[in-house]
Amino acid sequence: MDESRFEELAGDVVVERSVVLPAGPDSIWEHLTDGDLLGDWMDGEVTIAPRPGGAITLAPPDGPVVWGTVEVVIPERRLQWSWRTDDGLPTQVEIDLDPAEGGTILTVRETLLPWTTSGLQPQWTDWPDRRAFLSAVA
Amino acid sequence: MVPHEVFAALADPTRLDVLTRLAKGGPATATELSVSVPVSRQAITKHLAALDAAGLVDRNPSGREVRYSFDPSPLGDLVKWVEGVGDTWDRRLERLGSTLE
Repeated sequence: MDESRFEELAGDVVVERSVVLPAGPDSIWEHLTDGDLLGDWMDGEVTIAPRPGGAITLAPPDGPVVWGTVEVVIPERRLQWSWRTDDGLPTQVEIDLDPAEGGTILTVRETLLPWTTSGLQPQWTDWPDRRAFLSAVA
Repeated sequence: MVPHEVFAALADPTRLDVLTRLAKGGPATATELSVSVPVSRQAITKHLAALDAAGLVDRNPSGREVRYSFDPSPLGDLVKWVEGVGDTWDRRLERLGSTLE
């Protein structure tokens, strides 16, 4: 594994994408907060209660259900939720909308929420000393 | 496959300590590790089992003991997981873009 890969893992494990969409924030917001519309582009059956504390689920055509909780709802600006599959990794998804020439910039960040298995219950916690470990073995 | 066991294995400071010693100091037995890591031999054995489950160590019988060595390959799985998440969002955003056109 080369060093840039270690750097990637040593920081927050985060995936970020940004696109300019040919639409206004009002129309995009609808595609973020209406379950049917959201499911069309997320690819799966989606339910979402777009309010803080509301439930969100995605049942993809070929994988396990991802389920979680909506955390931040700022209409036409920002939507954030955290979710996981039953035996997978919890992640946080943040979607931001910003005005741009000819449309709207949508930025999505999916960040791994580190956890430990102490006993049977996964506990969300900081992932300690990753940088020290990864620099030691790199 | 989502390598959650790898993340879980790396999330404990003592396990990380054990793994770092194997990575830096080379293969060792639980007894040898308990000299340099300040926890009991039983605790070391438990941590080694978790590291083994995550594929981060290899076990090699050595007399009456087992000698453990660091196996970095699961770290590559983490990279693949990150890349898979990125590919998924690329496909989603492409669909959203064509829907809005």
